[in-house]
Amino acid sequence: MSEKNTIRKMVTVTLLVCLACSVVVSSAAVLLRPAQIANQQLDIRRNLLAAAGLTEPGRSVEEIFAERVTVRVVDLETGLFTDAVDPLTYNQQRASRDAAMSRRLSADEDKAGLSRRERYSVVYLVQDGDELETIVLPVRGFGLWSTMHGFLALDAQGQEVKGLGFYEHGETPGLGGEIDNPNWRAQWQGKQVFDDQGNVAIRVMKGRADPTSPQYQHQVDGLAGATLTARGVENMMQFWLGENGYQAFLTQLRQGDIQI
Amino acid sequence: MQPLRKALDDIAPHFHKGGRFQRLYPLYEAMDTFLYRPNSVTKSTAHVRDGIDLKRIMITVWLCTFPAMFYGMYNVGFQANLIMADMGITAVQGWRGEFIELFAGYNPNSVWDSFWHGAAYFLPIYAVTFIVGGLWEVWFAIRRGHEVNEGFFVTSVLFALICPPDVPLWQVALGISFGIVIGKEVFGGTGKNFLNPALTGRAFLFFAYPADWSGDAAWTAVDGYSAATALGVASQEGMVALQNQLTWFDAFFGNMHGSIGEVSTFAIFIGGAVLLATGIAAWRIVAGVMIGMVVTSLLFNLIGSDTNPMFAMPWYWHMVVGGFAFGMIFMATDPVSAAMTNVGKLWFGALIGFMVVLIRVVNPAFPEGMMLAILFANLFAPLIDHFVVQANIKRRLARV
Amino acid sequence: MKALELLTKPIFRNNPIALQILGICSALAVTSNLRVTLVMCVALTVVAGLSNFFVSIVRNHAPDNIRIIIQMTIIASLVIVVDETLKAVAYDISKQLSVFVGLIITNCIILGRTEAFALKNPPWPSFLDGIGNGLGYSVLLIGLATIRELFGSGTLLGYNIMPLAADGGWYVPNGMLLLPPSAFFLIGLFIWALRTWDKAQVEAPDFKIKSNTKPSGADYVPLTR
Repeated sequence: MSEKNTIRKMVTVTLLVCLACSVVVSSAAVLLRPAQIANQQLDIRRNLLAAAGLTEPGRSVEEIFAERVTVRVVDLETGLFTDAVDPLTYNQQRASRDAAMSRRLSADEDKAGLSRRERYSVVYLVQDGDELETIVLPVRGFGLWSTMHGFLALDAQGQEVKGLGFYEHGETPGLGGEIDNPNWRAQWQGKQVFDDQGNVAIRVMKGRADPTSPQYQHQVDGLAGATLTARGVENMMQFWLGENGYQAFLTQLRQGDIQI
Repeated sequence: MQPLRKALDDIAPHFHKGGRFQRLYPLYEAMDTFLYRPNSVTKSTAHVRDGIDLKRIMITVWLCTFPAMFYGMYNVGFQANLIMADMGITAVQGWRGEFIELFAGYNPNSVWDSFWHGAAYFLPIYAVTFIVGGLWEVWFAIRRGHEVNEGFFVTSVLFALICPPDVPLWQVALGISFGIVIGKEVFGGTGKNFLNPALTGRAFLFFAYPADWSGDAAWTAVDGYSAATALGVASQEGMVALQNQLTWFDAFFGNMHGSIGEVSTFAIFIGGAVLLATGIAAWRIVAGVMIGMVVTSLLFNLIGSDTNPMFAMPWYWHMVVGGFAFGMIFMATDPVSAAMTNVGKLWFGALIGFMVVLIRVVNPAFPEGMMLAILFANLFAPLIDHFVVQANIKRRLARV
Repeated sequence: MKALELLTKPIFRNNPIALQILGICSALAVTSNLRVTLVMCVALTVVAGLSNFFVSIVRNHAPDNIRIIIQMTIIASLVIVVDETLKAVAYDISKQLSVFVGLIITNCIILGRTEAFALKNPPWPSFLDGIGNGLGYSVLLIGLATIRELFGSGTLLGYNIMPLAADGGWYVPNGMLLLPPSAFFLIGLFIWALRTWDKAQVEAPDFKIKSNTKPSGADYVPLTR
């Protein structure tokens, strides 16, 4: 047995290597943590502004955000603002998988294929001066292959769509992936999400929406060759604007029961 | 005919060893043997399972696609003329329109008008397939010093027939290139490919340009008109909706939208009958596909589903919609990429039948599954043969 | 071996992907977008170089029976550091790379080089060997990503090169290239080209397939042999 293969040597080398490595790894983790959190925040904000169509050339995300956007947390059960969690550190995706923070949806409720829904959701209120201008709601739902994550921007009444955008999905490029197509997204602007009775009325059509139809204000063109993705988007709207989503919140906001 | 034979014989020395065009010999050979009986016999093991020679097999298959091809052309034109009359369009724009108006009009009731209209779509596709694919074929033959294989005749016509009528021609060129080069030549050429080249090319296009090769807009030769295929209707709206639009006999005789050659099960079966009668297509494969398909669809009928209407599709509908019939008769029976052993052929066919129903019913993204089912089974063919051979060895050893 | 040779030989003559067929997994997964690929290449090259370097330093002390564990510890630590750094400086790219940075740990190229080279050579040549293999990996990946992004989405590094038909341009993107299997075909074609250029890379066939029928006229084979 050569000298390096003794038991003593084995233990020392193992200890030393592990010690060195753990020091390197933990210091990297600690030192880089603040930058990572900042990045994560920035990433969400950038997606949000892009989805809501609020990006302005020449101005940084941080700048626009600081000036115009307030982040609040809504209790989806009551529809009221809450301080139960801190909007800046709250991880909504993790909460939706956490049994204590979310509840299982029954098959009837679960239109968007989520299986669980978190109790608290972050909402973003965009202001123009003191006036509430846009409400941006995080939405997600199952398409053909994947859960599509996006933001839906509504006007202050929670009635008219100001923008819809997805920042993460795994739909077929060229078919379902066309939910990223700017032309398709642009159609959403100005569509009315609720009908006169307050039911969710927005529809993604099969084929093209008919401009002469009285329902046209609720209709968006379908995606050619991607019926199931289009249906997924519609189901997502049905769910998140419905009673298990933001409906309670939007109703109370419209009636002025809650103030921003 | 004598002068032609003489002309060919006269130029022959140029193509033989030492001649000026020695490298182009495969081209000369292809020409000569297309016109006349070849003076050579098969020497390698490629297909020697019978006295019939490869050339005659391939030409027979080619001729057997004719009913489907001619009906397909008629149907493309007929559907297009119907829709045009319906939409109030009086003429096709561009070069196709000029071609059609040369000899015909746009009357859906006239068989000639419809046929000629369809020809304006099919012939360019076939020409592009033949020329581009042929160039690859000749190029590889020259590089590798072997003959241009007659199998290309079949590959090209099959590929053209499984195209939707209204595809851009450059995509056709790209698809046949992929099919010939990646599906066949990289493995050494005809006889060594384990995938069906025509289907490989189509699969490439299916994934590369899904908007032109699936969905609703591709199946009719009228711009801006979109209609789902029978399978699309069945999977989205259910059997009742499908039967409201289309009777079983419509589907069987092919009065519907779809890929050019795939619509008429009846026309395909005419060609199929000849192929089966002459023994060129293995009846075991065809039987396997049918059995696999019937059993699997009966199983799905039995299970049933509230949310997925495809579960309820009966086997006799599975048989007449989509590419099932065409795939079963012309693609699954490809002698190179199918299983070789007799028992293996049954299993190979059954695997296709099973997979096609499985994909059609369960997979939400692909309403049609014949192409993928056959390619899948192609991959398994050597394995199936291996097990069959092993089982045979074991059985005979036990006898000793 | 000379330093320069250590660095350049793995690029074409002994390419880890094309000849050794290692590291295919990430080559399929991260090459649909050139920007992401570049970051992945840098990450892998850094890890390959440094892990070779450190393993080589401890090579005379590392007991034989736990050498793999020691190598894995070093590689894993380096990968974690790289991953954390990426999250801090290039967040959106690291998000797109997702698990594939972490999976550098299991990339056969890295362990293959530490085991095959760094354990037997001094630190400096080992470092160069690691970098060289990283470059070999990078060349292939960048090639793949260029083709896949250019023809798959008409862009390069996110800049529009060929205007898409959907936006009023002329190019119809090839969706196949955005799917991972396309990288298989491209790697195959690349290997084909490489072996045509450098015949030494062609392996001896396991068995010989009989050639296709030779044209009977080309070499005057008589009808009855």
